[in-house]
Amino acid sequence: MKNFKDITTRLEIAKKKIKKEQIEDRSSNAAYMGNALKISTELVASVVVGSIIGFILDGWFDTKPLLTIIFFFMGVAAGILSVFRSAKKINEKL
Amino acid sequence: MATNPMHQFKVYKIGPEITLGEINLSFTNASLFMAITAILILSFLFLGTKRKALIPSKMQLIAEMSYTFVAKMINDTAGSNAKSFFPFIFTLFMFVLFANMVGMLPYSFTVTSHIIVTFVLATIVFIGVTVIGFVKHGIKYLQLFVPKGVPVVLLPLIVVIEIISYLSRPVSLSVRLFANMMAGHTMLKVFGGFVISLGLLGGWLPLGFSVALTGLEILVAFLQAYVFAILTCIYLNDALNLHH
Repeated sequence: MKNFKDITTRLEIAKKKIKKEQIEDRSSNAAYMGNALKISTELVASVVVGSIIGFILDGWFDTKPLLTIIFFFMGVAAGILSVFRSAKKINEKL
Repeated sequence: MATNPMHQFKVYKIGPEITLGEINLSFTNASLFMAITAILILSFLFLGTKRKALIPSKMQLIAEMSYTFVAKMINDTAGSNAKSFFPFIFTLFMFVLFANMVGMLPYSFTVTSHIIVTFVLATIVFIGVTVIGFVKHGIKYLQLFVPKGVPVVLLPLIVVIEIISYLSRPVSLSVRLFANMMAGHTMLKVFGGFVISLGLLGGWLPLGFSVALTGLEILVAFLQAYVFAILTCIYLNDALNLHH
């Protein structure tokens, strides 16, 4: 098991070399970028989905622009709600 | 020579045209690159786990790292009872990651830059999570749309808002991946075009930008696969452990 002992000492040396803080910093940076992308698309997607639902319902009930407008604002509310929830989840992690 | 930056996203058929009734099932360049992605993943994992050495080779190390990475992600975000969904999430993560990375090679085609591909992936996740939620909790799963401590007067409004927010999940999941990949590749192509048109005199600045953007795109390719997988875990967590 000479090989095994060799790799253990090499591992220890390598571990000492690695600056732990630097790695942690970099990984959390990527996570922040992921969160930013996630939150921004959530806001937009909810508005789009809300408007589309309103548009479809308008077609069903023959009440053109009314339901589209109402559901657009509902979508905005839903978007803000999901952004709020995601932000809360991020806050809990910190 | 195509200088149109959108030319790279064109889907064309390879080989004969195959039609099944109204549906066109021809083999296209998109299918080719999906097949290449799948073969690459399979061979990577096969080679990585062929020799199960105590002291791993580089290939084995990477394969094991990808396993631990996804396993830890599921454990952290969806809890220990989501362990049985590991194969699905691992497949999803590896497919998106490898498809993005294959797209970074010159002359290749980025499968994930087409919204239909990402939307189908997101729809599978969405329908799967909804079915799991109903199987696990029955009709009680609808509680997800009724948050606690809301006055009865506001309830109809809140329920509609919650439903819109729930339905927007697949859209945000797919649009994020598709938009990031398409925007990135278009930008690379545009800067590449600048290098050609500015020539030997002024082409160095866009060339530098191109190099920097390639680095950024590789980061984005990884990040988008990660975000896709982690959001699947979060939705799975909502379905398995019902609480808001």
